[in-house]
Amino acid sequence: MDEIRREIKNIEASAERIKALADGNNAVAKNASVILTFVYLLKFLTPSAEE
Amino acid sequence: MEYWNRYTETMPREKLEKIEFSYFKNLFTYGKSHSPLYAEKLKGLEVGDLKTIDDIKKVPFTYKEELRKWQENVDPFPYGGLLGVPIEEVSSFRQTSGTTGRPVYVPESYESWQWRIEAWCHILWMAGFRPRHRLFLPFGYNVYVAFWEAHYAAEKLGCEVVPGGALDTKGRVNKIIELKANAMAGTPTYILNIAQEALGMGIDPKSFGIERILGAGEPLPEATRKRIEATYNCKMFDHIGSTETCGFAGMCEAQKGLHIIEPFFLVELLDRETLSKEVAVGEQGVIVITPLGRRSFPVIRFNTNDVAVKGPSQCECGRTSHKLMEIVGRVDDIRKIRGVLFSPKAVEQLVRSEFPEIAEYEIVVTRKDIMDEITLRIEVDRKLGKEQADEVAKRLGERHKIKTNLSCKVKVEPEGTLPRYDLKAKRFKDMRGDH
Repeated sequence: MDEIRREIKNIEASAERIKALADGNNAVAKNASVILTFVYLLKFLTPSAEE
Repeated sequence: MEYWNRYTETMPREKLEKIEFSYFKNLFTYGKSHSPLYAEKLKGLEVGDLKTIDDIKKVPFTYKEELRKWQENVDPFPYGGLLGVPIEEVSSFRQTSGTTGRPVYVPESYESWQWRIEAWCHILWMAGFRPRHRLFLPFGYNVYVAFWEAHYAAEKLGCEVVPGGALDTKGRVNKIIELKANAMAGTPTYILNIAQEALGMGIDPKSFGIERILGAGEPLPEATRKRIEATYNCKMFDHIGSTETCGFAGMCEAQKGLHIIEPFFLVELLDRETLSKEVAVGEQGVIVITPLGRRSFPVIRFNTNDVAVKGPSQCECGRTSHKLMEIVGRVDDIRKIRGVLFSPKAVEQLVRSEFPEIAEYEIVVTRKDIMDEITLRIEVDRKLGKEQADEVAKRLGERHKIKTNLSCKVKVEPEGTLPRYDLKAKRFKDMRGDH
């Protein structure tokens, strides 16, 4: 599960970066936001009891 | 055994509870800073006061009446003080049915809706719905949440979804046959109505080829569940949820109670008298729910007023979540009649398990002078003659007395007299006025 959690963080960082780069491109920004919604879900589905 | 999320569904209880407590604290903090309702309600209580999971009992319950109050004349319209995100983030509107008062308007952001759908995927997968299923949803969905969740979740897990709105019952029977639908979801009442309609058209519902049905919107007594299974030659599953809380528990292949979808929901089953203690396995308790990841409409310790029997957290399916063994009904539905506690569910259980000849029924409670009277209005199978119908009525009266300790009148009505429902059935009418 640790490896999955690391990948989720990578996706999150990439999606945030795409959003920042979107520069007024609504379609790109929106789709990056949609990815971030699913990042939220992925985090919710893979919780660590240690955190 | 296949799971939707093996990681959380088979997680040891201790870990699961730790995670739920952590999610609860996150929601507590979020609610205090984003929801006017909770900013007010949780004044004087800080997240640091919640040191163990037992400390969540320090957090006051949320009642439906409060939700209504915080929406009346409070901006932003129509969500008022319940909104947990900027209104620009709301992407869909739902509302409660308003059966017990003014409806509650529920805002869903894209994130919260997807969170809801994910919880529902657990329910459908657990009930054996798979990408091979062509799922027919016999209902015109609208402002109520009913069937929207089923639609989106089934689509997400790979089923082929057929929206069956804007058709009458006969049209739906024809569409099921035409498309060879092999799965359905619906209120138990309407699933039975479809079967009755098909029989009237000279079609045996067993010939549909429906493999699985998920019950929604109404309690599903075991007798009704088995009757539907026999009628369609299929497997019938139950789930429970509401507009405010989302679908929060569902039935697995073992068909023994409903698994709570953990850690999406923290569900407490509290003793009915004091609402302060978690009941033991086998006991009845009031369901109190916290959806742990929904931010557009944060709801913390929502007292549902529903009563359920607590089940064990061991199941032959291997899931470790707590279970609700039986949904007894709403606290409001349980009435005192001639000094005896009466649950309409007991009548449904009786009718569905022992009286296949009864096509529809209704319970009416009236008061004559100081005496309460129960009348069971029934419609029987069209093939029965008057003598046979009277015999069914007599037997029902006798069995009712044995099952409930209350005598009743039974009135046989002509076919088509009693209302048919495609959403929540309202078969219990208490006309006494002061109950």
